[in-house]
Amino acid sequence: MAGPVISARELSLVFQTSDQPVQALARVNLEVGEGDFVSFIGPSGCGKTTLLRVIADLEQATSGTITVNGMTPQEARLKRAYGYVFQAPALFPWRTVERNVGLPLEVMGLDDAAARVARNIELVNLKGFEQKFPWQLSGGMQQRVSIARALAFDPRLLLMDEPFGALDEIVRDKLNQQLLDLWRRTGKTIVFVTHSIPEAVFLSSKIVVMSPRPGRIIDVITTNFPVDRTLDIRETPEFLAVAHRVREGLKAGHSYED
Amino acid sequence: MSAAPAIAAPAPVKPEGHTLPVVVICVLIVLAWYVAAIPMNWVVTGPKAEAAGGGLANLLLFSWNEARPVIPAPHQIAVELWKSVFMVKPWMPKSLLFHGWVTLSSTLLGFVLGSLLGVVLAIAIVHLRFLAKSLMPWIIASQTIPILAIAPMLIVVLGSLGFTGLLPKSLISMYLCFFPVTIGMVKGLTSPETMQLDLMRTYNASRSQVLWKLRFPASVPFLFTSLKVAVAIALTGAIVGELPTGAVAGIGARLLQGSYYGQTVQIWAALFMGSFIAAGLVWLVGVAERLILKRMGARP
Ligand SMILES: Nc1ncnc2c1ncn2[C@@H]1O[C@H](COP(=O)(O)OP(=O)(O)OP(=O)(O)O)[C@@H](O)[C@H]1O
Ligand SMILES: [Mg+2]
Repeated sequence: MAGPVISARELSLVFQTSDQPVQALARVNLEVGEGDFVSFIGPSGCGKTTLLRVIADLEQATSGTITVNGMTPQEARLKRAYGYVFQAPALFPWRTVERNVGLPLEVMGLDDAAARVARNIELVNLKGFEQKFPWQLSGGMQQRVSIARALAFDPRLLLMDEPFGALDEIVRDKLNQQLLDLWRRTGKTIVFVTHSIPEAVFLSSKIVVMSPRPGRIIDVITTNFPVDRTLDIRETPEFLAVAHRVREGLKAGHSYED
Repeated sequence: MSAAPAIAAPAPVKPEGHTLPVVVICVLIVLAWYVAAIPMNWVVTGPKAEAAGGGLANLLLFSWNEARPVIPAPHQIAVELWKSVFMVKPWMPKSLLFHGWVTLSSTLLGFVLGSLLGVVLAIAIVHLRFLAKSLMPWIIASQTIPILAIAPMLIVVLGSLGFTGLLPKSLISMYLCFFPVTIGMVKGLTSPETMQLDLMRTYNASRSQVLWKLRFPASVPFLFTSLKVAVAIALTGAIVGELPTGAVAGIGARLLQGSYYGQTVQIWAALFMGSFIAAGLVWLVGVAERLILKRMGARP
């Protein structure tokens, strides 16, 4: 399949609220290719989550077109084309780690569930915690469970909404490295929402800078860091140059509204 | 190892931390009861005490040992309970165990039927939006009708259809106890967060999968809270169901007979039997709740 994984044309979304309509997305154009790692970065309320939810068919655009794997988002969702990691872990508290990770497999009726569960729990370094309940885990461990759950049915496309937003720097760095390794090994397409400039620059092959009121894309930056990069590249001039450009974009977006 | 004793093991916490207050309250109630029995029984026992020569000793003796008092003394109830529970064969109509069992069996049947009805109604209401609007007013109205008014009609109608004995009484229990279950379960089934529901949506989960894998497990704590209320009012329903039928067996029948013949001691013994059964049932539901929630990973 040669076409783009995600293609949005002049995509707009207006929320009808009780007082006034909110333009969450305004004329968004975006192309995500097979194997891309795309980050959405921007201030709070600029429509990052909304755009991700439109891709996932959890929200419907008011105008414009969008395709996922060449289909409408709804068709893609019905075909279980993507795994979604929410802003919070959203684990089921009455299920153990193992059964939380197995949830999509149960719903989809996939074979080989035990092996898939074991493999993905190992992947997020939670071996030994299979029988624990969510409240027995730290926030970072819970978020890793939710990542293992999204990976369990091996979707080609991964949509992640600030998965590491609530974690401390150290854990975050470690998970960033692991996510990058996973991406390199599996060649999955990943769309990733973040607030953090270093995180976006380190992880992405393409950085989408967004700005609020109305939510729109103001810059798209393609990076060329080696795929086997480590956290050390954050000190390099190339890295700092990209980070600078992202920061300038975010600033420009802000000055727009004042 | 030698340093270990330095860190003293925490002193074993006494689990019966609230036993003492409970005992104190019980003792106070019993004392107040004995005192109150003197003026309340005065009409019956005053003249007798006078006739026997008066004095405090006679007053107490008569006030607390009258065969047909306005209010029996606690030990009279205890003795009656002892006699009617342990001194007669449990299958004899004189046994309170026999009457307790009759009421308990229709309570349990009504409780099971009512809880099932309550859960089914809640599932229907949560899934069919129009039902929430059309059914809910009826459900609420059903509970505003005094049960004492419809119980006799129900029992007469069912009797003429050939249903007698256990079933009509159970239906009254069921009628009373489905309500808290429906209300609690509607709340429980709608308790999952948007994010959890969205997650199931990303899996393209069917409605029944969402129900059984998400909504129902999430509603279990709500279910047990409702069941505790339901089981107690199921018992009330069963007793009420025994009153208008002229039933010869059951706690309700026992209360009715007691009041016909002025046997206040018997009435009170039956009342106590009823509350023991209620307490036991609520306790059992609580035990089931703890066991099941523990298996579902609740924090200890
Ligand atoms: N369901 C909704 N109804 C009405 N308005 C909404 C809804 N969801 C989001 N919005 C509005 O749309 C805008 C974009 O919200 P969105 O959640 O996409 O922002 P975000 O970029 O993800 O922010 P954050 O970084 O804080 O998560 C905001 O102004 C928000 O108030
Ligand atoms: Mg967001």
